[in-house]
Amino acid sequence: MLTKVRLMKLDREGITLLVMLAVLLLLPAYFHNDQYIMHILIMCLIYGVVAGGWDFMMGYAGIFTFGQFGFFAIGAYASGMLTLYAGVPTPLGILLAGLITAGVGIVIGLPCLRLRGAYIALVTFAFHLILVPLINSDLGRAIGTGGTYGLLDIPPLAAGFSVAAKVPWYYTLLGVAFLSFFAIYRITRSSIGLAFVSLRDSEPLAMSLGVDAYKHKLMVFGISAFLTGVIGAFYAHYTGIVSARILGLDIFLMVMVMLVIGGMGRFPGAAIGAFIVTFLSEALRPLEEYRLFIFGAIVVAVIVLLPEGLMGVLFPAGRVGPGERFGRFIRQTFTRQLGKKSIEK
Amino acid sequence: MTREVAEVLISGIALGSVYAVMSVGMTLVYGVSRVFNFAYGSFYIWGAYLAWLLFGAFSGMSYPAVFAIVIPVMFLFGLGVERGVCAPLRRKAAWQALTMMSTLGLALFLDNTALIAFGPHKKSLPPLLKGTLNVGGFVVSTHEMVTLAIAISIMVGIGLFLERTRLGMKMRAVAQDGVGARIVGIQTNRVFSYAFALSTALAAIAGVLLAPKYFMYPQGGWTILIKAWIVVAFGGLGSVKGTIYSAFILGIAEAFVGWHFGLQWPMVFWFALMLATLAIRPRGLFGTGE
Repeated sequence: MLTKVRLMKLDREGITLLVMLAVLLLLPAYFHNDQYIMHILIMCLIYGVVAGGWDFMMGYAGIFTFGQFGFFAIGAYASGMLTLYAGVPTPLGILLAGLITAGVGIVIGLPCLRLRGAYIALVTFAFHLILVPLINSDLGRAIGTGGTYGLLDIPPLAAGFSVAAKVPWYYTLLGVAFLSFFAIYRITRSSIGLAFVSLRDSEPLAMSLGVDAYKHKLMVFGISAFLTGVIGAFYAHYTGIVSARILGLDIFLMVMVMLVIGGMGRFPGAAIGAFIVTFLSEALRPLEEYRLFIFGAIVVAVIVLLPEGLMGVLFPAGRVGPGERFGRFIRQTFTRQLGKKSIEK
Repeated sequence: MTREVAEVLISGIALGSVYAVMSVGMTLVYGVSRVFNFAYGSFYIWGAYLAWLLFGAFSGMSYPAVFAIVIPVMFLFGLGVERGVCAPLRRKAAWQALTMMSTLGLALFLDNTALIAFGPHKKSLPPLLKGTLNVGGFVVSTHEMVTLAIAISIMVGIGLFLERTRLGMKMRAVAQDGVGARIVGIQTNRVFSYAFALSTALAAIAGVLLAPKYFMYPQGGWTILIKAWIVVAFGGLGSVKGTIYSAFILGIAEAFVGWHFGLQWPMVFWFALMLATLAIRPRGLFGTGE
């Protein structure tokens, strides 16, 4: 009973998430015939989860990780290989891929426990960079990565889930993305989440109060890798193809831009950032070679001018912002309406 | 056999001097301001492109003249970048993450500007000096020897600068204790800017020195960034001495591993060596406290 009451008590981040869900549930009503828009929306959801897992690590736990796409690729390859070679049913393959990625995440996390700041960034980025030659090498081919060709003909999620079946895929991934974000939301509001934030803000103080830094950091790595691995696996089954190109620097940077524009450590900014950046990137596509150039300039400008991203603009710390005002307006309108009705009765 | 080993050793030392020049600027800026500069590789490649432009624009351009233009231009550019992109973020709580990301954005911007301006094809600079030298029975290219000599003089120069000049001493003071430095009246913001500008100029020098041998292309800075990063982390982020030792250790290791096992292995060996070192000494070989 108590948990039920707690679940109902949502703060503004939770409400923002629910508003986003409501909007996203309605979108296919307008776009279900447009394959292109539906594909972009699906990619928004996928990248949104990657950005969310990244934000969980970097924004909440303060761990400078650059290995998120490594987790994404491992999830994608693991599920693809399990279903292709071992004949594992797809949903089970996705779950196993998540668990495998979580294991890898914890292994990557181990050397990071004693390191800090830029060193963690180095180790995790090294993990990302070493995967590309590994996947493409003879060793990778022996494991079954398919070398430079990658994995082809990865089976779909279930019958009826072809790449062309955008609407079922959209709702499936919306569910997955929502569950991932809801999990992050719940964790950051629990005592474990509080431990993460305390470790981020002052590790010595947190440890002196009895917070186990090693355990909690490994948990962060495990959880974030699990979520990223699962969405990587979904990506593999959605597109049906996986190659080392998903480890490309351009995608890496794009998701980082999502994080920045949404607002780092400002849940669910990463999800909002994912939609803005993916659509912006598509809109800039005709500019070809100027696209990344403009992207870079936007990143620098946004970080310097709005270091807390869009969430910082909507809900600035310490004062009432446009987001809060909008919420109050809605609340007042509703209460006024209700008040009138009760008087009429 | 011994002759072959000696040849490999010489090429390893030459490689080490190259890595030292590449990484010393990165460790300097991290040591002083704790900023991890992702645009370092782009500064490197832009230094090389600037030299290429100068060679193209003026026939009969000599290397001393090129350096006389490239170094101050890149120094001022670095100063501008620090003032415009890094300094405003310093007041924020998560400034370390923010500067990492803003310099990453800057790298993206600079690389793609280079792509638009110069195209994707590889370009090269003429060698510093043509021909070969005979050193104790070994034939080495003059260019490599000149690079080695310049690298050593740069390192000696940086050492003297940090030990003897007022600005160098200020940099060391800020690196040791930023708050303490401010208490004794050092304008830390200015020191940060100069350290950043100096590191930009050093990256550009490395770019000009290495372009004749390794070519330049818009994304070429990334390999350099990653290599310099490993060199710096292995030696200890922020330690100039550690960086120079680690550059030579890794350069010689690369030469021997590449000679014995094949060319795809040095990078794997580097990562393994770095991980093992960081597991035992989390701050690298010569790193001091955070």
